[in-house]
Amino acid sequence: MKSLHPLTWWIWSLLIVGAVISANSSWLAGISIVGATILVWRFAADAPWARSFWFSLKIGAFILVIRTIVGVLIGVPIPGTKIFEFPILPLPSWLAGIRIGGVITQERLLSSIHEGLIIVSVISLFGAAVSLTSPHKLLRVTPIVIYEFGVATVIATSALPNLVQSIARIRRARLLRGDEKPSWRSIALPLLEDSLSRSLELAAAMDARGYGVSRKRSRYRPISWRGLDSVVVFAAALILSYTLVVLR
Amino acid sequence: MINFSRVSLVYPTSTKTILEDLSFEIAEGEMVLVIGSTGTGKSSLLRLINGLVPHHTGGILAGDITVDGVSTQLVRPGELAHLVGIVGQNPAQGFVTDIVEEELAFGMEALNIAPDVMRKRVEEILDLLALAHLRNRAISTLSGGEQQRVAIGSALVMNPKVLVLDEPTSALDPIAAEEVLSILHRLVHDLSLTVVIAEHRLERVIGFADRIIHIAGDGSAEINLPEAILKRSDIAPPIVHLARALGLSDVGLSVRDVRRMTEEIRISGKDIQRDAISLGEIAISTNKLSLAYSEKKALNSVSTQIYSGEIVALMGRNGAGKSSLLTTLVGINKLSSGSSEICGIKSGDLMGLVRRETVGFIPQEPSDLLYAQSVESECKQADKDNQSIAGSTFALLKRIVPSINPETHPRDLSEGQRLALVLAIVISAQPKVLILDEPTRGLDYQSKALLISLLKNFAKELNRAVLIATHDVELVAELCDRVIFLAEGEVVADGPTLDILLSSPAFAPQVAKVMSPRPWLTVSDVMRAVAE
Amino acid sequence: MKTFTSDIYRFSLSSKIALSLTSLFAAAGFTWPFFATDLESARLAQYFFWIAMPIAFVLLLTQLSDRSLDAKSVALLGMLAALLAALRPLGAGAIGIEPMWFLLILAARVFGSAFGFLLGALGMLASALFTGGVGPWLTYQIFAAGVIGLLAGAFVKELRGWREQIFLLFISIVAAFGYGLLMDLQFWPWALGTNTQLSFIPGGDLQINLRRFITFHFLSSMAWDIPRAILTSVLVLSTGPAVLSALRRTKKRAAFLTPIEFSERLN
Repeated sequence: MKSLHPLTWWIWSLLIVGAVISANSSWLAGISIVGATILVWRFAADAPWARSFWFSLKIGAFILVIRTIVGVLIGVPIPGTKIFEFPILPLPSWLAGIRIGGVITQERLLSSIHEGLIIVSVISLFGAAVSLTSPHKLLRVTPIVIYEFGVATVIATSALPNLVQSIARIRRARLLRGDEKPSWRSIALPLLEDSLSRSLELAAAMDARGYGVSRKRSRYRPISWRGLDSVVVFAAALILSYTLVVLR
Repeated sequence: MINFSRVSLVYPTSTKTILEDLSFEIAEGEMVLVIGSTGTGKSSLLRLINGLVPHHTGGILAGDITVDGVSTQLVRPGELAHLVGIVGQNPAQGFVTDIVEEELAFGMEALNIAPDVMRKRVEEILDLLALAHLRNRAISTLSGGEQQRVAIGSALVMNPKVLVLDEPTSALDPIAAEEVLSILHRLVHDLSLTVVIAEHRLERVIGFADRIIHIAGDGSAEINLPEAILKRSDIAPPIVHLARALGLSDVGLSVRDVRRMTEEIRISGKDIQRDAISLGEIAISTNKLSLAYSEKKALNSVSTQIYSGEIVALMGRNGAGKSSLLTTLVGINKLSSGSSEICGIKSGDLMGLVRRETVGFIPQEPSDLLYAQSVESECKQADKDNQSIAGSTFALLKRIVPSINPETHPRDLSEGQRLALVLAIVISAQPKVLILDEPTRGLDYQSKALLISLLKNFAKELNRAVLIATHDVELVAELCDRVIFLAEGEVVADGPTLDILLSSPAFAPQVAKVMSPRPWLTVSDVMRAVAE
Repeated sequence: MKTFTSDIYRFSLSSKIALSLTSLFAAAGFTWPFFATDLESARLAQYFFWIAMPIAFVLLLTQLSDRSLDAKSVALLGMLAALLAALRPLGAGAIGIEPMWFLLILAARVFGSAFGFLLGALGMLASALFTGGVGPWLTYQIFAAGVIGLLAGAFVKELRGWREQIFLLFISIVAAFGYGLLMDLQFWPWALGTNTQLSFIPGGDLQINLRRFITFHFLSSMAWDIPRAILTSVLVLSTGPAVLSALRRTKKRAAFLTPIEFSERLN
């Protein structure tokens, strides 16, 4: 999986998102969530960003629950099979005169869950793209026109793991001093000072190494697009065209 | 190659003249060493060469500097990247990207060099600096020496004619430093690169320096042959101090030279009487201490006793378990088996104030402990934490560094002053045991001398135990009574400094190498042998 | 001969124009539910903005990444963004009770509003790339964070001491609630859907839609904005002076726009 182009999974996930939205089907949404889960579980590298898919799933589940609760409590009633009935609780008029509760129908519940599922699948597909792609590699294909911003992002993403190490180191130094519960200040300030002085050193190094001299930039070892990338993207495109053409 | 003509430098925010009327010429292929105490303008001089000063920092530059005929007035530093490569103190601070190969290519990408040329140059550099097997590694996972090699590589990849290095080994341990210096040695000899280097481990580079620039600190500077400068300079390697103390007519720059000159002394010198150290009660005691991180064994059955009044060095390779042992003693790690006590208290029971009052611990990066806005408030905080009398920490600091300004921000202190501040903070709690983890990284000779006298005072006058993890043999020779040598988590040697350091040529300090087979470790040892 | 070192990043005139245009577009992206005429166009608008906002933002960046983004600004931007990203997950929430805001506000205050805009945007982006949370809402978050940085750096730059603290407190509260408002605006149409009593009514009366949004916002405000405002204010008050002094010392040491002078002789 290492050889895939960093944009492949992004394009793939955008196409599938398109398919899920255009098909507007809970089934497809469910299948895409399961598919994304399998892909991430099977192919994601053991790296910090790989966890973001599971984080996305959590957000998705949270949103699903919220939507369902909100939909059931204050949703516009949809006529149909009654499941149960809450007592109606009107809110004061300055709260837009909302009624809480009322008759909950199966249709109402299903419609909430259906919309929720589609949103969960969109979120998890994005999460899968993040998990499957190294942000460092992704930055290597940022267009030259946003080079400066790209370099800043490269610095940020390269420095992040070091920061985590520094936090651990400072925390340990406090602990060794007998500070069992180090205050947030005593960790944050040395960390900030370290990072700031590092950025000045870095700026000098960049200036010395030719940053900003040439308006044009070349690229070391351009990342190439391979057959497997096309296969992945093509498969997603097929699904999208199916939902666009056949399901309409 | 490099030409300074009547150069003076003033920074915009101060009225102090950093350099005044400095003229010299450095020829192609020359290796020039820049020496001077911290804060005298070494870095400024080095950064003048590629125009970082004043283009990056601002300031008034009088006179003219040319590199290979190009005046630094007219071009920005980046435009000199193909002429001058510069390498800083801490390699990790100058990296833009996170992968070795990418880092090497960064400068060339910025200068829009064609991809095929880039590929070729990167391969050359990977071979030259023996980095090929690391090409795809994340830089943060490399050792300090490897990182510094990458930094040198990313300067060399631009094919510069001049390489400028600003204390390239000061943030490294001696083994990594050796790695970097030997690469440098090869570059000077094989590529006839012009090299300008500031380096505080003089003994390591003096052998291949053609000339020395000595910056005095009052703006004046002198450039001359190494022998001529070192005869008078107070910054000098131990063998030069030895030659001066013995009143030799010449200062030798290598062990071999000085050995030849001191043959007579080795024969006629008397055996010196070493005072037996008076040991107090047991301060640190471990019995069959073992420690494992998940599955990896870090320490294996370490048994030792350290007594009050003793200064003990903990030596060994990186990863031999030094830091693990130190942190276990203080009670941060849970031991797998065995026992460990400090002053009768089990390591595991050392918590909070008890830990602070029993053990003082100086971490590898002393500044990790500093978070106040001024030296004074840092000291006040320490008084409060240590529950000691108000003002006692600052009084102690004032004794160590009389010139210190209480208003200064701790981050603006020099490396040595900062260590002194942290020492004052830790010692003012009156701990019974003091532990230091690699305290001499980045310290110049003066700060090191200060540290030595301070620690001696603490251990001998107050009768406290001191344990230092260090790679620095010269420090051990000057300071320590005993050495514990760790390898792969086990104690492989434990004995008086004299025996341990003399038993292996790799660990013998310079003076001992000169005086071998006589058992003299330091200049003062030799002087006593001559005098008695 | 007298020149200056490079200045901290500032917007050029064309950048200002580009930023204004993008802001107009983003305003539409945030407020379209009030103007949607029917269900189908609302659906279309939702997806249109999910796709068009990132594109607009990349176009804006193309304009902003001009040569005024020098090495010092880029390095500071990168490191501070990494710090923001590292601070973000220390908080509790996916939605915004994150301790990153106080540092963004303080850094923007010291380094100016153009820098603040880029820092907010980059901090959001870096944290999303590493800790998850990439989704259609990301561009909205990036833009909102950028605007907070922009505002925090824009006013009464000379203020110091307790007056500055009061001002920062004010900005923190405005930022906390402003961010909440913007996030709710983009959250509202797709998180609630169109068929609850709080949802927008495509083609409905503007007043009713506004009232519904305000109610929705009021409810979510209780959950997120108030804790966020409190956290940010507490952090600004407790660590503000120390962090500001660290940032200001760095700015001084970075020597932005410092005179460079070459002369024959020193006089």
